[in-house]
Amino acid sequence: MSGISLYVHIPFCASRCPYCDFATAPATSRLRSRYVDALVREIGEEGRALGRPRLRTVFVGGGTPSLLEPEEVGRISAAIEGAFDRRPREVTFEANPATLDRARLGAWLAFGATRISIGAQSFSERGLRALGRTHQPSDVAPAVEATRSYGLAVNLDLIFGWPGQTPADWLADLDRATALGPDHLSCYPLELSQEPEEAVANWPGAGWPALERWRRRTARRQADDRGLALLYALAHRRLARRGSRHYEISNWARPGKESLHNLTYWRNGQWLGVGAGSHSHLAGVRSRRPAALTAYVDQVERGLPREVDAHSDAAVDGAILGLRLDRGIDLARFSARFGHASRDRLVSGLAKLDGRALVRWTGDRVRLTPRGRILANEVFVHLV
Amino acid sequence: MPVVNKVDLPNIDIDLVREDLRTSLGFRDDEILLASGKTGLGVRELLDAVVDRVRPPGGDADAPLRALIFDSHYDPYRGVVAHVRIVDGAVRVHDRIRLMQTDKTADLLEIGVFTPEAEAREELLTGEVGYLATGLKTVQDCRVGDTVTLAERPSREPLPGYRPAKPMVFAGLYPTSSDDYPALRDALEKLRLNDAALVYEPETSLALGFGFRCGFLGLLHMEIVQERLDREYGVDIIATSPSVEYRVRTTRGAEVVIDNPAMLPDPTMIMEIGEPWMKVTIIVPTQHVGAVMELTQGKRASLAEMTYLDPTRAMLRYDMPLSEVIVDFYDQLKSRSQGYASLDYEFASYRPADAVRLDVLVAGQPVDALSTIVHRDRAQLTGRALVTKLRELIPRQQFDVPIQAAVGGKVVSRETVKALRKNVIAKCYGGDITRKRKLLEKQKAGKRRMKMVGQVEIPQEAFLAVLRTGEESS
Repeated sequence: MSGISLYVHIPFCASRCPYCDFATAPATSRLRSRYVDALVREIGEEGRALGRPRLRTVFVGGGTPSLLEPEEVGRISAAIEGAFDRRPREVTFEANPATLDRARLGAWLAFGATRISIGAQSFSERGLRALGRTHQPSDVAPAVEATRSYGLAVNLDLIFGWPGQTPADWLADLDRATALGPDHLSCYPLELSQEPEEAVANWPGAGWPALERWRRRTARRQADDRGLALLYALAHRRLARRGSRHYEISNWARPGKESLHNLTYWRNGQWLGVGAGSHSHLAGVRSRRPAALTAYVDQVERGLPREVDAHSDAAVDGAILGLRLDRGIDLARFSARFGHASRDRLVSGLAKLDGRALVRWTGDRVRLTPRGRILANEVFVHLV
Repeated sequence: MPVVNKVDLPNIDIDLVREDLRTSLGFRDDEILLASGKTGLGVRELLDAVVDRVRPPGGDADAPLRALIFDSHYDPYRGVVAHVRIVDGAVRVHDRIRLMQTDKTADLLEIGVFTPEAEAREELLTGEVGYLATGLKTVQDCRVGDTVTLAERPSREPLPGYRPAKPMVFAGLYPTSSDDYPALRDALEKLRLNDAALVYEPETSLALGFGFRCGFLGLLHMEIVQERLDREYGVDIIATSPSVEYRVRTTRGAEVVIDNPAMLPDPTMIMEIGEPWMKVTIIVPTQHVGAVMELTQGKRASLAEMTYLDPTRAMLRYDMPLSEVIVDFYDQLKSRSQGYASLDYEFASYRPADAVRLDVLVAGQPVDALSTIVHRDRAQLTGRALVTKLRELIPRQQFDVPIQAAVGGKVVSRETVKALRKNVIAKCYGGDITRKRKLLEKQKAGKRRMKMVGQVEIPQEAFLAVLRTGEESS
């Protein structure tokens, strides 16, 4: 395999979004400078330990990477430069539409950014309010235009299924988004059933009960699963007509504009993750850093290794991830990679779904049907 | 002999207890003894009183041996050990004995008394209480109430009052996981060594697979067996709703005994169904009499007698079908009387019943383990309660699942579990894979605890739903 991917986690946010369950922390955290120090150190040590591999893609996610100071971006950049062979084909950073200014954009360009992922979420004021977002619908277009003027590829994140959203609201959001001409779109249903333990770790007072209340209240007013399935189907149809390929369960791209970094995940490739709550997959081993900043900083400062996930099963992960992609799984290649026994297990697992219109076989290739995409867990549960 | 025990407790009101003993049981004040096992207070007086007041055992020391079995247990080294009282005659170790009701003989391996530990003796004489190690292999051969005599010099008449234990309540017991079938079979075999009243035979259910139809003396016995299977043998079981034994006279003139609702013949084949009725005695504080009467009203019970035992307690005697007693009645009785009511019942007779089988169909498929036999007038009400409960318990599948209650092919109630339209973890990036896999594994573990009926997964709780439908109507 030629090179690996690198994920850098920036947990800091100006305010907390109540639905988010990634590792986040207040931008004003007293730990912020120690955190950046730890990142720099972790990048340096990991790069050396791996023998200065080539980076194929870099993704800086969060949190809100766009609120890093130019100086902080510069330090991380220098650390990567020093520890890796940096000739990536794709460098993405995530941005909140309201926090992107020219000075910061400059720092990211110097970082080598080729792509920006903007958390638009909705173009409706009601939608943004329902989601607890602090930016305005009008912040998105200028952010897109500014980055586009520097030649960056653009992804927009959208969330559907917020309380009160009608199918017409959702189609309007999709149209507003596509009108901005993004290369890539990610559309997620608003998920309220997960347990955001990781998101709570770094906020003063944690605020878990308040989040729980918000989630319960929102869940009551959210469309039922039939409603969410309808919104999902609308996106599938509307975006196809706008020339985007629905290449992963939640992701659409114009031809050739798929996210190379995220494809590394879905193809179960190799990547190093640095930062709080980050996960890595190197030489067949999955491992992670703790989501709590104090624990993460402490681990790195003491030179401790990542926690290893001993239960991972490469073939199972490979099957589940592969089916997320519209190309699905080619049995011959699956067999060559994971062995005959794994292939047989996959085939017998999928055989239980016969007659349910969840998967479709074309020769030796299996993929999810549109119905299978929105019921993907009903498929995956037979593969674990 | 009235004894008030635990008088060392700080909050005991001895005068109140005395008063109660006087008024409710009719004792005289000077008869009542006070004792404390913890401090030893009054124990000597108690033992003296036993000697003074209890009549010495009668019996004829020269007559042939007659010993009453009042308990027994199984010992892996000495076989069945019978707990006996010697009524007439005497028994010596190594005597050859005969059990008069089961007509089994055995050579005694050891005899002795309880002190309370077992203490071997050479002989047991008239009036003594002790044990006989028989070497018998099953307690079924050595039943409580049977009379032990000597094989060489048998008594002519057994002691009176023996009644073979007869199971009244039946339920299917199935292993939660079909892999556990051998474990359940072994556990039942071992339980039977110690429990002469437990009967069972293999049974197959379309929904639950291989299991056993078990007969119990009553509700308490059923609960104890289930509890022991779980606690002592670690076997995870699903129990179907309990049933009574119906006697069905068919149009061809045959009489069949039905202890499993699923086996009830087609209605057109039935001339008459008989069901067991019980004499039910309930003792309850007077302020709860109304609540008890209200409860029994819905249970086809007829009040035979009501007496006040004292100003605070009433005794109600009912004639009532056993089928009404075994489903949810005891729990309801307890909850409506704040736990104070006591329940006792004994078999009275078989009476004709206007009974029908209520079937449950899930996605068009009859689920045999959910069938119950109910009174015709109540079929619709019970059916509605049952399908409502099942709709809550059956998880949504990828298609609409109709749940129907039907009597003889006619649907009396219907609900639908709406199809699952969305189940996806939409966002899945690097860090999420481990977490998502864990969620899927949890979902999978949940599936494993379900039973597949046709295309539908039914959780175990659903099979208990039949028991709990009473909660809605209360």
